[in-house]
Amino acid sequence: MNPAATDTPEVLDEADVRIYEVAVLLPYPMAQKEEHQTIKEIEAIFKEAGAREVSKDVWGQRGLAYEIKGSSEGNFIVYHQEMDPGKIREIDTALRIVPGVLRHIIVKPPKGYKITKYSETYKVWLKERESASEKSKREREEDIQKRIADKAKRQVKREKTAKAEAPVEAVDKEELGKKLDKLISDDSIEI
Amino acid sequence: MAHQQQQKPRRPDLRGRKCDFCEKQTQHMDWKDYPLLKTHVDYFGNVRRRFLSGTCLQHQKMLRLAIERARFMGMLAYRK
Repeated sequence: MNPAATDTPEVLDEADVRIYEVAVLLPYPMAQKEEHQTIKEIEAIFKEAGAREVSKDVWGQRGLAYEIKGSSEGNFIVYHQEMDPGKIREIDTALRIVPGVLRHIIVKPPKGYKITKYSETYKVWLKERESASEKSKREREEDIQKRIADKAKRQVKREKTAKAEAPVEAVDKEELGKKLDKLISDDSIEI
Repeated sequence: MAHQQQQKPRRPDLRGRKCDFCEKQTQHMDWKDYPLLKTHVDYFGNVRRRFLSGTCLQHQKMLRLAIERARFMGMLAYRK
């Protein structure tokens, strides 16, 4: 065994207490009073179970992929709570009853899990995504312009080649015309 | 005819692909990681086949679980 490895504190591996991730989905256009009340109720449930709050992450307004109880937008709140595994069922049933909660999920994070605040990473991703979409749009436009330019070049080439072939006949016609004019205007020839 | 044949892109060879997650040495996938999950779901909301994406079985299972959780929470669609 590596002694350095044993020295690192492993919070997740404690026998009677471990960290759980509890995510709650609330409808987004919600009155402030109601929102405060529901959050209070949720936190009271955790307190009753004797849980210790490790982190709380409020995501804010988020669009939902499908309507849940008539609302197409929601507000996610992700808690990381250190609590007794025996009280998970209690919390699950209690959260099911709380009015105003659209969905909730309790996840046991795997070993070596690092708590990350996805509300921040999502914002960064949104900004990057905008730039990526703009980039793709610009590339598409450039590609179209290139195609148009190529087409024009090809057309010009075609015209040139056509002209290169055509002049032989044109010159002949002109010469013929001139010769005819000369013949007609020539008084020495008697018809 | 010859010009048309040049424009057609050749189908990529999928056999030699390696798992992206194995290369990054990912140990677990989070259902909250929307940007990651979105890339592994097609337009209709189905999980991309691992034959096409090159993901290994171990990571595909983790991905599926994460996507199922995200669907339940309304982050991803079950079906479009």
